[in-house]
Amino acid sequence: MTVQVQQEEWARPSAQALREMVDVGRGRISPRIFWDEAIYRLELERIFARCWIFVAHESQIPNPGDFLTTTIGEDGVIVSRANDGQVKVLLNACPHRGNRVCFAEAGNARRFTCNYHGWAFGRDGAFLGMPAEEIYEKTCPDFDKSELGLIQARVAGYKGLLFATFDPEAPTLDEFLGDYRWYLDVLLDNDEGGTEFLTGNIKSWIDCNWKVPAENFVGDSLHAQWTHNSGAVAMLGMGVGKAKQDSVYQANVNGHGMQFGFDMVGNAMTLGEPEVVQYIREREAIMAERLGKLRSRMVGAMGSATLFPNFSFLAGLNTVRTWNPRGPHRTELHTWVLVNKNAPDSIKEKYRKGVMRTFSPSGTLEMDDGENWEAATRTAAGVVARRQKLHYSLGLHSQVEHEELPGNVHQRKFNDSNQRAFYGRWLDLLCAETWSNLPEGR
Amino acid sequence: MSQAQAQNPADAIRDPRPPQFPPLPERDLVFEVEQFLYREARLLDQERYEEWLGLMTEDIHYWMPGVQARFRNDTSSGPLIERMAFYDDDLLNLRRRVTRFMHATAWAEDPPTRACHIINNVEVELTDNAREYRVYSTFVNCRGRNEAEETWMAGRRTDLLRRDETGALRLARREIHITQAVLLAKNLNVFL
Repeated sequence: MTVQVQQEEWARPSAQALREMVDVGRGRISPRIFWDEAIYRLELERIFARCWIFVAHESQIPNPGDFLTTTIGEDGVIVSRANDGQVKVLLNACPHRGNRVCFAEAGNARRFTCNYHGWAFGRDGAFLGMPAEEIYEKTCPDFDKSELGLIQARVAGYKGLLFATFDPEAPTLDEFLGDYRWYLDVLLDNDEGGTEFLTGNIKSWIDCNWKVPAENFVGDSLHAQWTHNSGAVAMLGMGVGKAKQDSVYQANVNGHGMQFGFDMVGNAMTLGEPEVVQYIREREAIMAERLGKLRSRMVGAMGSATLFPNFSFLAGLNTVRTWNPRGPHRTELHTWVLVNKNAPDSIKEKYRKGVMRTFSPSGTLEMDDGENWEAATRTAAGVVARRQKLHYSLGLHSQVEHEELPGNVHQRKFNDSNQRAFYGRWLDLLCAETWSNLPEGR
Repeated sequence: MSQAQAQNPADAIRDPRPPQFPPLPERDLVFEVEQFLYREARLLDQERYEEWLGLMTEDIHYWMPGVQARFRNDTSSGPLIERMAFYDDDLLNLRRRVTRFMHATAWAEDPPTRACHIINNVEVELTDNAREYRVYSTFVNCRGRNEAEETWMAGRRTDLLRRDETGALRLARREIHITQAVLLAKNLNVFL
């Protein structure tokens, strides 16, 4: 079943107050957006319950009955493959007493039966039955089984990635992604067989606001050579390479962003698996045919990306992750490894191990990130620290026209342009009561 | 538990089925293994990583699988080697991790993490190979960071210890299972 979107009554931060906190034009941001409970509640309502949120890769649930559980904001959902092959995204909360309906994080199920009173729901979320149904029929004047299904989100896919939104008024996924699809294809469409997730996932808690890592991946090229020097020494035997800044870019569309160069294998090299680098190089001509010469050189290149609001990836390193909010000061990180479906098994195995040892909680690169992100959140508890406006004005006037690159393109990766675009979109969504109030053309 | 196994508890107690454990090894061997594990733990607590690496055989497989909360009847619920893992390392990759730990720019290690490895429930089993022993143990690991951060993990390990040419014990396999399906920490900057 679906529910109507209703505005709950509570004291929301005003649009004016939010605009004072986030000055995208000057590149100044108040740390309050990483700490305040009211802002967080507004994010859950106006970003996570409205935007298209990544929920699964098709390959995780190939067969009818396959499911996984995840969250959209703090709403638990079941992503389920129904008998007709369609993917359903179901609120993981029983309409009877609100208990969680599915407690496993992945598997295959004939139906989802609530542990509390035995209400049962089909793979498509429809209500199937409950114990003592005849008593309900006799004594509930408004008993209507068709109204008792699990609440459903809209579902749409893009080249293997599945997204869902609980907002019936949200634009289509294609509109939501816009020209960012051109950049997503670097990851998702460099091979005719498409992509898949390797099996399993790694989840962990970082005590930081969810936006801190999301903005890190959207455009923070600057931190790599400083934060990750020790990891680079471990994996490459030397520090992070310096890119020529005039031939590398940041680009963003609708708050989604990617920072990248055309070095072909810079990210891939970090895995510490020469065969993966060789795999990418050997396929240069095929990739150029699919993506064009310029874009094919982004496939394994140094860079990072965030699809607004909370889906991030590193092309070439092939780590894919979501930053799931668990209160304003905690993020549950979910990570997967993405590979080309047609890649040889030996290459997939190199990716699995390479991602583990670089970008996972035990990874030589990721280990140094969490510490920074937690402290960057925690300092915002201080009154004086909250008065400070953080500096986001790197590359304020770096926008360029590029004949091939779509979206808002900025020269130089050492740049805060994607971060400003991310927070610009964030501000627009928080200030707009409906999608139709949202300004065009971010 | 399947229906077929369900038995009236009153009947079940008349039919006790104690476990079949292999015979206990010599006390000296158990003592030697215990001391090996305790000393190994102290090397980690003291960040003596070079010496710790010296305890590994050349073919070490150091494996800590990811944990998922799946249903009991899920045939793929167990830890599978093809799934994502926290550690799935050979000697080269353990060495890479140590290289980072020891580097002056490993910012998240400075001030150092204060780790305490508590090792317990040590059991030693003989194997078909006279030079190799299967060793079960449990651990509690506590990490302190900066001023007031504290992280706890508990888990079980299954090791294969091998006696080298000099007679010294070396670690050849380690399988680590922690209790957390979501790692309740920002990182895993510790060997277990």
